[in-house]
Amino acid sequence: MKILLVEDDKPLALGLASSLEDAGLLVEIAGDGRTADFLVSTERYDAVVLDLGLPDGNGTQWLSSWREQGIELPVLILTARERWSDKAAGFSAGADDYVTKPFETAEILFRLRALVRRAHGHAHPVIRVGDISLDTHSAQVTRAGMPVSLTAQELRLLSHLVHAAPRVVSRAELTEHVYDGDAEPDSNVIDVQVSRLRRKLGSKSIETLRGQGYRMAADKEAS
Amino acid sequence: MRLAERLRRLPIATRMQVSALVLVLLVLPAAGVLLSWNFREAVNTAFNERLESLLNVVIAGVSYDVRQDALVTSRQLGDSRFDQVFSGWYWQVSDGGGRVLTSRSLWDQRLVVSHEPGMAFRRITGPRDKPLQLLERDIRLPGFDGVLHVQVAADLGEVEAQVARFQTLLWLSMMTLGGLLIVLTGLQIRWGLAPLRRIEQSLKAVEQGRQSSVETGLPRELNRLAEAINTVLERDQRLIARGRTAAGNLAHAMKTPVAVLTTLAERLPEEQQMAMRSELKRLDEAVRHHLARASAAGPVALGAEQDIVAVLKPVIEGVRRLAGRRNLIFRSELQPLLRVRIDAQDLQEIVGNLLENAINWARSSFSLTGTVEGSLLLLSVSDDGPGMSPETRQEAVSRGGRLDEARSGSGLGLAIVAELAALHGGSLRLDSSADGGLLAEVTIPLTRPLSGG
Repeated sequence: MKILLVEDDKPLALGLASSLEDAGLLVEIAGDGRTADFLVSTERYDAVVLDLGLPDGNGTQWLSSWREQGIELPVLILTARERWSDKAAGFSAGADDYVTKPFETAEILFRLRALVRRAHGHAHPVIRVGDISLDTHSAQVTRAGMPVSLTAQELRLLSHLVHAAPRVVSRAELTEHVYDGDAEPDSNVIDVQVSRLRRKLGSKSIETLRGQGYRMAADKEAS
Repeated sequence: MRLAERLRRLPIATRMQVSALVLVLLVLPAAGVLLSWNFREAVNTAFNERLESLLNVVIAGVSYDVRQDALVTSRQLGDSRFDQVFSGWYWQVSDGGGRVLTSRSLWDQRLVVSHEPGMAFRRITGPRDKPLQLLERDIRLPGFDGVLHVQVAADLGEVEAQVARFQTLLWLSMMTLGGLLIVLTGLQIRWGLAPLRRIEQSLKAVEQGRQSSVETGLPRELNRLAEAINTVLERDQRLIARGRTAAGNLAHAMKTPVAVLTTLAERLPEEQQMAMRSELKRLDEAVRHHLARASAAGPVALGAEQDIVAVLKPVIEGVRRLAGRRNLIFRSELQPLLRVRIDAQDLQEIVGNLLENAINWARSSFSLTGTVEGSLLLLSVSDDGPGMSPETRQEAVSRGGRLDEARSGSGLGLAIVAELAALHGGSLRLDSSADGGLLAEVTIPLTRPLSGG
């Protein structure tokens, strides 16, 4: 899960980013609205965490301009303003949820996961594909009821495939959502990680569609 | 309402109209009575003078004929009524014995002689029971020993008729005058009090939110009042706005560092983390609580009436969106066309905090209803969450001043709502909802517009 954190306060942005990364998320930071605006329209994110008090204009203004441009990704607003008149302005600009400062990382994680899950059309916190299930709240993966231990990057990869299921996910999309923008992984890295996942989850859990990408195999029960 | 109380509250125009009416009803009849009395006196005097001169004519014409031993008269009185029988105008000369001389009009009747010395007026009842004014004088004639009683009497009916005619005219004109006076004072009061009415209309317009300040194109005395009201209104708004801006800025300045500390605290070992967290929470709650208090406007002195549905629309839409994201069902039912005088942001705070609490605890649904019952605005929010025990409910409502106490997970929001409600003279009541969750009910007394409109 790759998210954009728009926060002008550097210590807060770095602290929150590292906490979220510890939880297995991929986080990019934008220090102002302009940078965020550029990143949102060029990069692909699963969600945005948006602080309302930005140096270049109110966060709600940036948010409503994104919504006008048709950018529909989930946005979680972070606000220091307690008053409902401010919160209501955020919602009418198109925010999906909010967290007031100060917050606990767990709350942001909880809200973000719920938003991303919802954006993919899953209402229930536990997503099942075949005998594999992913608890989006706790980031626990089980195979046929047995817990499976994954690295952060493996978890991101699987999480993206599970959220997208039964859609086919291209290598490019995986590169965008699972790996750091600067790292530029070659396709080999993805192949290696997919095969590691297959070892942990079963050889038929992830299908490779030549020239298209990967897909979670849905009808595990049949095999 | 007691009469004294009612009298104190009588509108100025009514007071003036009533006093004008009393004046007209007292002064005009008094003047009428006085005029009528004077007129009657004047008419009577004129009548008596006429009788006197007639008497003198009779006296001048009377003589004693010694040869015939009879009284004779040589003069005509020039008034034909003395010749018409029982016309009401009579004269008579008698010596108290057998010698009597009368006007033809007296025919066979005689006037009673009173034997009073000098000249005297009397009222008598004459022939045909007519009231007569009689003037009598005793004279002596040369060659006649003994006193002659000379009398002239005339019908008082003439005087009465004259007076009655005058009175009819008098009362007619008095009534016309009275009516005219009442109408004119009415117009005068209307014109004189027009500026007061304008300032009242203007206040009403401010109350209904059609104007932001009181009209100032008024007479000098009122203009100062209007300007003073405007100054107070502006100051009020400025103070509230300044309080809110300051609170917002302080919130922003305080909360980001607290947020940084919170994220940093998550990296500490377990026991330090606990202590740190609870201190940070205390800090945050103190800030939230005092900011909520600083941002509240409280009861408005002369604010516009707010359409509750319009004021709460952004909050409700936001909560609805949020509820959708969190898979909760949110029902809201606000009585339409509900207009209430309350600060818009305070109302948003109250409802927003109640809904925020509900959304955080609800299992599958929560609801908001808003109605007016009598002079109370009733807002209630219920959820199907775990609810609260009676002790916790008591604590949540009364927490306001005891912020330093360690708290359980229930939101500070309810304490803030309780404070805001109290600030507006109302209260927050917590109960268990129909489906086992929490029912939070805020009642706020409505400040009725001064004009009752």
